[in-house]
Amino acid sequence: MKKRILIVEDAPYMREMLVEMLEQEKGSYEVVGFAVNGKEAVEKYKELKPDLVTMDLVMEVMDGIQAIEEIKKYDQNALILVVSALGTPEYRDAAMRAGADGYLWKPFTVKNLTDVLTELLESQEK
Amino acid sequence: MEKLTVKGLLVLSFAGACALLAFYLGVFTGETRVYPHLFYIPVILAGVWYRKKAIYVALFLSGVYILVTHYSLTYLSVDVFERSTILIVVAYIIGLVSEKRAQVEAEIVRERDKFQKILSTISEIIFLIDRDFKVLELSKPQLRADIEMEDVIPAPYRRMPSSQFIKKKDVIGKKCYKWFWGKEKICSDCPVPSVFENGEGTRKVGSFVLADGTMMYLDVEYIPVFDEKGNVVQVIGDIRDITERKRMEEQLKSAEEQLRETKDYLDEIIKSSADAIVVVDMEGNVRSWNKGAEAYMGYTADEVIGIPNRKFFADPEEADRIMELVLREGELKNYRTIVLRKDKEPVHISMSAALLRDKNGVSIGTVRVSRDITKEVELEQKIKEERDKLNLIFESMPDGVYIVSMDYNVEFMNKVLIDEFGDRVGGICYEVFHGREEPCPLCKNTEVMNGKTVRWEWHSRRKNKTYDLIEAPLRNINGMLSKLTIFRDISDRKRMEEELRETCKRLAELDKMKLDFLSVAYHEMRSPLAPIIGYASLLEPKLSDKERRYICNIEKCARDLEEMINRMLELARIDGRKVELTFEELSIPEVVQKVAKKLKPAAEAKNQIISLLIPELTIQADEQKLLAIFTNLISNAIRYTPEGGGIGIMVEERGEDIRGCVADTGPGIPAEHLPKIFERFYMADTSMTRKSGGFGLGLSIVKEYVRLHGGRVWATSEPGKGSKFFFTLPKRQISKSKRGE
Repeated sequence: MKKRILIVEDAPYMREMLVEMLEQEKGSYEVVGFAVNGKEAVEKYKELKPDLVTMDLVMEVMDGIQAIEEIKKYDQNALILVVSALGTPEYRDAAMRAGADGYLWKPFTVKNLTDVLTELLESQEK
Repeated sequence: MEKLTVKGLLVLSFAGACALLAFYLGVFTGETRVYPHLFYIPVILAGVWYRKKAIYVALFLSGVYILVTHYSLTYLSVDVFERSTILIVVAYIIGLVSEKRAQVEAEIVRERDKFQKILSTISEIIFLIDRDFKVLELSKPQLRADIEMEDVIPAPYRRMPSSQFIKKKDVIGKKCYKWFWGKEKICSDCPVPSVFENGEGTRKVGSFVLADGTMMYLDVEYIPVFDEKGNVVQVIGDIRDITERKRMEEQLKSAEEQLRETKDYLDEIIKSSADAIVVVDMEGNVRSWNKGAEAYMGYTADEVIGIPNRKFFADPEEADRIMELVLREGELKNYRTIVLRKDKEPVHISMSAALLRDKNGVSIGTVRVSRDITKEVELEQKIKEERDKLNLIFESMPDGVYIVSMDYNVEFMNKVLIDEFGDRVGGICYEVFHGREEPCPLCKNTEVMNGKTVRWEWHSRRKNKTYDLIEAPLRNINGMLSKLTIFRDISDRKRMEEELRETCKRLAELDKMKLDFLSVAYHEMRSPLAPIIGYASLLEPKLSDKERRYICNIEKCARDLEEMINRMLELARIDGRKVELTFEELSIPEVVQKVAKKLKPAAEAKNQIISLLIPELTIQADEQKLLAIFTNLISNAIRYTPEGGGIGIMVEERGEDIRGCVADTGPGIPAEHLPKIFERFYMADTSMTRKSGGFGLGLSIVKEYVRLHGGRVWATSEPGKGSKFFFTLPKRQISKSKRGE
């Protein structure tokens, strides 16, 4: 069964790249929607109930950290992978405290992404 | 009108009787010759008692006689008138004589009263006794106005007469021993019999104890009274109260006694005094020379008595000057001069002198007390020199210097202060410097007087100046503590410090802003790398071999750029103190193996041989940082070592530290560059950059990580042969908290 994924990312070319990368994995993932800021992400999450959210941190209107908190408030079991260029421990810790389940530091390759996703989904199933 | 006295009645009744008799005899018998003789009785009585008034009695009786005779049986004869005349003449004569006598008697009484008055007025008591010790006269019965009978202590002491019970009449005619001492017999020590016998006056002093315990002394002088034949008939006693005199005498005696003792004492002092005590007469010759003088002058008394004192002064004129001063002032105090010892050594002395006078007040010489003060003078000289030196220092100091006593008296102020406040030495410090009426609230006198040195800063709001004050206890030569204060106007320094602090604060803010900016900037720089690498990785499988190589190069360059950005970011975080260490027990071989494994491909690509010499050691360190240290050093070695070169990695234990060394066989680093290679963006040779790449940040990160662990990093190099990079890390961290704070 395909994992339904919500992509939260303000840069269009990054959204496109993430879709491209996920499609490479021969039908393991299905991108069910996009959000360009945190507020939209929360709304989309409630609407779509995805299996996993990729979350950028730096966005307008509502940033990623706040969005993670909101989503986690709504759904304790939501699975959120932060995908951000902010890679220093301060940001990582802030995201983790907010409730993120994984952290992928930009830039990354296809392999980096799929490895993290596999690991995250497996750990959740356990 | 005189009162009718007994005498008057007697005269009148006699006269009346005579008149009646004359009438009776004349009328009834005619007898006129016999009875007139009776008329003399009242006339004589009146003459004696009433002096000239007797004439009236005589006239009355004569009248009666003539009338009776005329009217009687007989006839009036010449006899009758003759007898009457005789009667009147007799009365007149008796009146005259009697008058005279009365005058004399009145004179005597007056004289006597005068004498009595004198006797009772003088303080002495005069009494008169006869051979039978009968008191004939007593000037007054009381000895002293303030002494009553009760004041005298009774037997066994003698009793004193008291005015209360002794009246003059009780005494006059009594035996003196009876009234005076209450005895029945003459006193055994009575001097009166001898006065009667020898006809010579004598005196005797007697004493009594009064009730208040004091003594009373009486001096009695016995004076013989002679009759015309030269026999002693009476003795006059003259009692004088000499208590006061006696008391004075005794005081005088005890004063004399004391004086004599004092004199003996003084003589003793003079003899044994360590000070020289010398007496010089008016001619300037030595008259007395004590042991003290012998001791420090070297001359014995025998050698100098009679010799002019000029001889002893270094400047003989001094002798005249001293004499002149003493004569003018009467004395001389602590006069300093120099005398010559017998061996001609000069001695500094302090001399006090006084004029000596005989009992008539005539100057007879001078007495001089001198002390050897050579040591004091030398010390004073030394102190003065030191003080002058100090003063010179204080004068030329730009700082204010003053000394105040425990009770706030200004004892010294240097030129700086005198220029500002005027010379106010002797004033009260808080008045002089602060215009206050009581000690300043911040005054440190108490602390300083307790021996503390206090350094503090004081800001004068009045002058808007800040002073740096050092206040220290200062022990004066007399042992008293004073407070030495040195203060410096540090207003400019203070202002500069304040400015500097402000600047620092601003710089720190700027630095933080810069770091925050850099942090954001580095993240922003990373963002475009994400699609570059991401898309490259998407393209890779779809391309031909050649194209794949191209895209790999793009990806690799992007990765290098990322690495560079990461390092800059890390350094910015270290500068912003955002890097924290997490210490854990690490096995060094494991850490090194991890790094070696990661870098193996790069070394193999250049055919380099990496040799490891790593003993089984553990260390308390942050794993990520330790990995970074090794990674940076080893990748640097790989980068700079040419194809086929060797790289050595060694770790050893050095006391409490672990020392690591990474050696390459690269071109080496010139000695002058060695100290700088750990600085950021520094490279030994720009030409190397192109050959080897890199941006000189790796070593900076190594240095910072080592420093955060509390270690040290350095390098040695032999140009042409290679370089060695060393670092030390403590095996154990003292505290688990972050370093570098």
